[in-house]
Amino acid sequence: MRAAPYDPVRTLYRTLLIFDVVAILILAAGLVEFLYFEPPGQHTGIKATIVGVFQYEPATNKTFGPDRSAFTRMQLFAALVDWKSLPPNITVDARWYDSFGSVVGKVGPGTPAQLASQPIVPIALPSTLKSNLPGQYMFVVERWANGVPVEILARRIILVERS
Amino acid sequence: MSAFARVRAANPRPRNRPARYGVAIAVATVVVIVLIASSVLDYVFLDSIPGRTALYGLLAVALVALGTFIGVRAFDKDPAVRRRHLIRAGVLLGLGVLLWLLVIDLYVFTSSAGPGVAAICAAACLPTTAFGLFVVRRLDRNEKEPWRLVLVAFAWGAIVATSMVIWGESLWTAIAERVLVPGPGLDASTAFSAGLLEELANGTAVLLLFLVMRNEFDDVVDGIVYGAAVGLGFNFLESVAYMTNLYALFSPDGIGGYAAGFQWYSRQVLGLFFGHATYTALIGAGIGIARQLHSRRQQVIAIASGFLIAIAAHFSWDAWIQFFPIESSTLGLVEIHLRTLIMTGPFTALVIALLLSGLRYEGEALREQMAKEAAEGTGAILPAEVPILSNPWRRLGQRMQALSRRGLRAYFAMSRLQTAQLDLAMERWHRERQEIDTPLEAEYELRRRVLELRRQAGGLSAG
Repeated sequence: MRAAPYDPVRTLYRTLLIFDVVAILILAAGLVEFLYFEPPGQHTGIKATIVGVFQYEPATNKTFGPDRSAFTRMQLFAALVDWKSLPPNITVDARWYDSFGSVVGKVGPGTPAQLASQPIVPIALPSTLKSNLPGQYMFVVERWANGVPVEILARRIILVERS
Repeated sequence: MSAFARVRAANPRPRNRPARYGVAIAVATVVVIVLIASSVLDYVFLDSIPGRTALYGLLAVALVALGTFIGVRAFDKDPAVRRRHLIRAGVLLGLGVLLWLLVIDLYVFTSSAGPGVAAICAAACLPTTAFGLFVVRRLDRNEKEPWRLVLVAFAWGAIVATSMVIWGESLWTAIAERVLVPGPGLDASTAFSAGLLEELANGTAVLLLFLVMRNEFDDVVDGIVYGAAVGLGFNFLESVAYMTNLYALFSPDGIGGYAAGFQWYSRQVLGLFFGHATYTALIGAGIGIARQLHSRRQQVIAIASGFLIAIAAHFSWDAWIQFFPIESSTLGLVEIHLRTLIMTGPFTALVIALLLSGLRYEGEALREQMAKEAAEGTGAILPAEVPILSNPWRRLGQRMQALSRRGLRAYFAMSRLQTAQLDLAMERWHRERQEIDTPLEAEYELRRRVLELRRQAGGLSAG
């Protein structure tokens, strides 16, 4: 019986197959990560009430003006949350995300009763910048379980204009 | 002729068009449908097209019209000149489509800071990208790919692939942001979308080259070269887009130039070969390996493997980059390099390993085929030429010798002769491995061409 001649292409092919396993492990880890932070079956139907998003005065920690969906770069703004609209036995927080997905303002986590004294959730101006970055900002009220936010109870999208 | 008669056609398909052309047409049809859908949806939902786009678009329309006219007329011509006219028509049509896509791209990706800033950013990225293309093409030291195909691959990555993914990624992000909790879960979802859509769009170019330009797609080395060229094209336009966008974001605070410069360094210097070039080179490697496999099942697995590894590599960077935060101190400069090395380095190392193995195997096979051709005594390759043709430095030395003795014309004549001889050896290699669908006459034609070039070179090769 004669052995099949050595073909280097088969070695390259087998190398690909080995890295296939690595690739599958990477994608599986990504799926596990996704499911950990987005666990299925977390929908409770609870809705939080965002009263509105207003201009904000940090010196007095107060909002003013009408509810708006767009601001200029120089205007500070904050969301007003009605924590009382939520059931008392859940853990919640509220966060602002900028267009890069960075948290730029937050309150919580805690029970609605614990957060009742903090209905105003302002965005924080980055220390290195003179004004807000333009783009889309997202405000969310989240329900927590097992140490991670698992459900969005309310959401508002705000645009900070370029000019 | 007795020497020629010993070589048998491995897989002759002399009359019929190879089946792979049908697959290529199907893939191209899907690409065109995706492009049209993406353009229409971009126009309706993302933004409107400004007046200047329509103005530039007129040139694209004119090119398409002219190409169509020449294409239609070509069928009335003598069959001998028909092919030339069809090629002209194809080039014009291709230029028209590319120009239109480029205009759309420039608007969609670089409008944030205006055309002036976008032009400066593009000018900054051109030298580095050109260097990348030069290096990638030089990687194939045995038989370099033609510039026209390398540039087509680059243009696909820069223009077609970016146009294909813009709508898909925008839609995915829009849905995910409204459904998912912001944070790592959303990041993972976005990374899945980027890895999947961008690598599918980039890999399609390599797949089409594999299906249509089989004569210029020999093995894993060629796949890596074409894949990396596509990746460099994608990286070029993405760099320009990120640089202009960040300039627009940070210029009111006086740090727009710094932000754009940082992007330039991370994408055009640090990430030039590590990012998209590596990912699409992995797809090219899979397709290149499939090129030399005989079992259809293994071919499909090899191609799918290249895509799978590229998608995973791309995903891992996008999803987990946040776990390597960069400090704003001097240490951050070290961290940013380490991050790239740790996260993308293993995949780049895999590409290099496949490339080196492919080069060694290709080199050995060509040397063997040249020796066989020399032994057959056809005169296309002489025994004394085998060691010279097997070594790129000695080939260069032979060309330089021709240059010093007879001038520039002799240099180019020698270069053409060497290229034709290597082509002949490559053809023999594929025929011996039974992985070729061109008729045996193609090999005779190559041999005849080598003899003709040798006559033109005036016997310089023997020296």
